[in-house]
Amino acid sequence: MNLSWVISRNAIRKPWEYEAVLMNAESRKKALHYFYEKVVGPLGFKFTPDEELMNFLLEQEVILENKHGIPFCPCQPLRHNRARDMQIVCPCIPFHRKHFDEIKRCWCGLFVHKDVLDPDKLPQLSPKDVNLE
Amino acid sequence: MKAVELAGNEIVICNCGGNYYAVQRRCGHMNAPLDMGTLDGTYLTCPMHCVQFDVTNGEALSGPVPADFGKETPPPMLGEYFQNVGMLMKHIRTESIRTYETKLAAGWVQIAL
Repeated sequence: MNLSWVISRNAIRKPWEYEAVLMNAESRKKALHYFYEKVVGPLGFKFTPDEELMNFLLEQEVILENKHGIPFCPCQPLRHNRARDMQIVCPCIPFHRKHFDEIKRCWCGLFVHKDVLDPDKLPQLSPKDVNLE
Repeated sequence: MKAVELAGNEIVICNCGGNYYAVQRRCGHMNAPLDMGTLDGTYLTCPMHCVQFDVTNGEALSGPVPADFGKETPPPMLGEYFQNVGMLMKHIRTESIRTYETKLAAGWVQIAL
């Protein structure tokens, strides 16, 4: 086996493909919570009061971040089109502001409007349902 | 943040709202100088690949953020170079960074080496 063969076999993975890393999920969740709060607060949103849901969604984001290097929204599909995928990086509120203001929550429900006390009453409506498409 | 060198140890002192933490200056991913990054609360972000660390315990919280090469195909030689770099980079692990005990005394930050 010569060296060039080894290099070419290993180089099948493109350099921009992400190598999965595994970090402590609890610590990362805490850090994401800290950073997200700073972003969504000025936008009029807060974390959902449903702590179980919040923990579950943050955990899913940590899994996605470990896999892709970026904490994507766990409730929207990746299309492998960077421009579109960047619009679902959590918190994706700025990219879907009109829609989320209309339904008073973000798509997955991790964030709700600051005046919302009972997030269960908020239905998950698509942009079409609220006449935005 | 302030970088200092003490007895051959490169250290970054972080002032987190009056609490001082000292961590190794070199990133646990690719050795970039962390004092050139950003400190938010107790979270330190590396300036090179945005790896994040908790300065209270040195724990690595995330891996490097993947670069965007856009849609443009690089020239063949550059593409080959990127492939080799990518091949090497996939073996690089992000490690937690070392922390040092600190103590405030008479307005000085003391670091235990």
